[in-house]
Amino acid sequence: MSAFTSALRTPDLRKKLLFTVAIVGIYRLGATLPSPGVSYANVRACLKITEAANNDLLNLLNLFSGGALLQLSVFALGIMPYITASIILQLLTVVIPRLEQLRKEGQSGQAKITQYTRYLTLGLAVLQASAFVALARTGQLFNGLCDQNDPTYQIIPEATGIPMWLTLSVLVMTMTAGTGVVMWLGELITDRGVGNGMSVLIFTSIAARLPGEGWSIKESSGTGKFFLVLGLVLVIIALVVFIEQAQRRIPVQYAKRMIGRRMYGGTSTYIPLKVNQAGVVPVIFASSLLYLPQLYLQFFDKNTLKPYQVWIQNHLADPVSPLYIGVMFLLIIFFTYFYVSITFNPTEVAENMKKYGGFVPGIRPGKPTADYLDFILSRITLPGALYLGLISVLPNFFFIWLNQSQYQNFPFGGTAVLIMVGVGLETVKQIESQLMQRNYEGFLR
Amino acid sequence: MAEKDRPGDDVPGDDEVFADAAAGDEPDDDALVTSGAGGTAVAERTKDESPKTKKSGRGPFGRIGGFFREVTSELRKVIWPTRKELLTYTGVVIVFVVIMTALVAGLDYGFGKAILWALG
Repeated sequence: MSAFTSALRTPDLRKKLLFTVAIVGIYRLGATLPSPGVSYANVRACLKITEAANNDLLNLLNLFSGGALLQLSVFALGIMPYITASIILQLLTVVIPRLEQLRKEGQSGQAKITQYTRYLTLGLAVLQASAFVALARTGQLFNGLCDQNDPTYQIIPEATGIPMWLTLSVLVMTMTAGTGVVMWLGELITDRGVGNGMSVLIFTSIAARLPGEGWSIKESSGTGKFFLVLGLVLVIIALVVFIEQAQRRIPVQYAKRMIGRRMYGGTSTYIPLKVNQAGVVPVIFASSLLYLPQLYLQFFDKNTLKPYQVWIQNHLADPVSPLYIGVMFLLIIFFTYFYVSITFNPTEVAENMKKYGGFVPGIRPGKPTADYLDFILSRITLPGALYLGLISVLPNFFFIWLNQSQYQNFPFGGTAVLIMVGVGLETVKQIESQLMQRNYEGFLR
Repeated sequence: MAEKDRPGDDVPGDDEVFADAAAGDEPDDDALVTSGAGGTAVAERTKDESPKTKKSGRGPFGRIGGFFREVTSELRKVIWPTRKELLTYTGVVIVFVVIMTALVAGLDYGFGKAILWALG
């Protein structure tokens, strides 16, 4: 508690914290504000009908857009398009030589790639916004439970005197612009606030759904099972913290150097390689990629599906099917290795060490050191990847056992817990290091 | 002082490190001999592959087994958080999650009420 007040007493840290809170406030405001053309009263009427029958896809979507989608709000798409765009671009970097070249260029190339990601985000946002508007118009947004021919339930009322095409295009434009603003808010947090903006916003979306989902578990499964779930979540949190904190420390010795009359270096430090060097990004990537089949199915009428579409529905769009769980697991392992290989470049680290006169005892500087780092990293990442896969998949089994209809309650599933703990640790550590800079005692003693 | 520390520091990964360095050196010569007139890229490629094949050159199963043995040996060198660290970090994360959830729930409730009031 004293650490918290000292954080607030530090002027620049206080500014950053308040700035982040303010941005989160704006994000939530946009997530509750309905877009023009949407009848708020009718959406509420529809929500009442569908509350009993939960819908899978919307639950996952809402995880990332924080309950906003059901109301077709200004920030309804959240940062989902941005995540999808960055996955696509990072995968393309491996395939397209020009992008690879840009990435190697350093700062300016990275800025260019970010630029491309933003354009792609807007494109995807237009696509997704029109898909959702279409879904809302056909009534499939509420799984056909809310009759769209009945004027009292029409989400986008037709009898307004304004031509329908104009209403719809304004709606799509608003939602696309909303995505752009969310993207900007995320970058503002990264630049001037606390923590990584994108992660903080995803975190906010999940946090927004926690109370409601907790309540529904308690209502449908009873108090006993509710506390059981809470206990399980605590165990998972502790487990995630345990593994996130585990490091393989590679000793690095710095050579003594005389520059003029002064002695430099001669110290020994270490390179911390985390068991899970990739963080929560692979999980976010895998779950957003696996949401694509579900999105694809939403474009078709549930009753007239072709055989292969039925197969997709039963296997790739169903979180309890063994194939879905297996694919999720494999995707997470793939993305873990992929993301580690993008973010940690052994050759570069080895070069930097060489430049400043550092070496790993017993290994020659330069290429042998890079090989050594790569050797350790590729071995230490395997348990990390398995851990990510298991944590995000296992709770699903638990929820199947708990209650057939409850497995879709994602905020208490492994993916959400992983994201929450990962973002929490990252953010708290950043605050901590800022406190340390000013010689205060931090949260983590 | 640093010199005094060094022998002690080296002990944990010592034998493995030197085995690696030796394995890395030996095939280096082999590759140069065998690939003769081949480009440098070819020589480097063989240099990369050969230490692993040399270590456990007993077919694919032997190699996979070797990989897993290396994984467990690396895992043994991992420094795990202590009990105290684990409890503090877990506590801090839980507090953070609770504060953020409360904040967002409060905001959502307020904005929801406001919009309901404004739009009916």
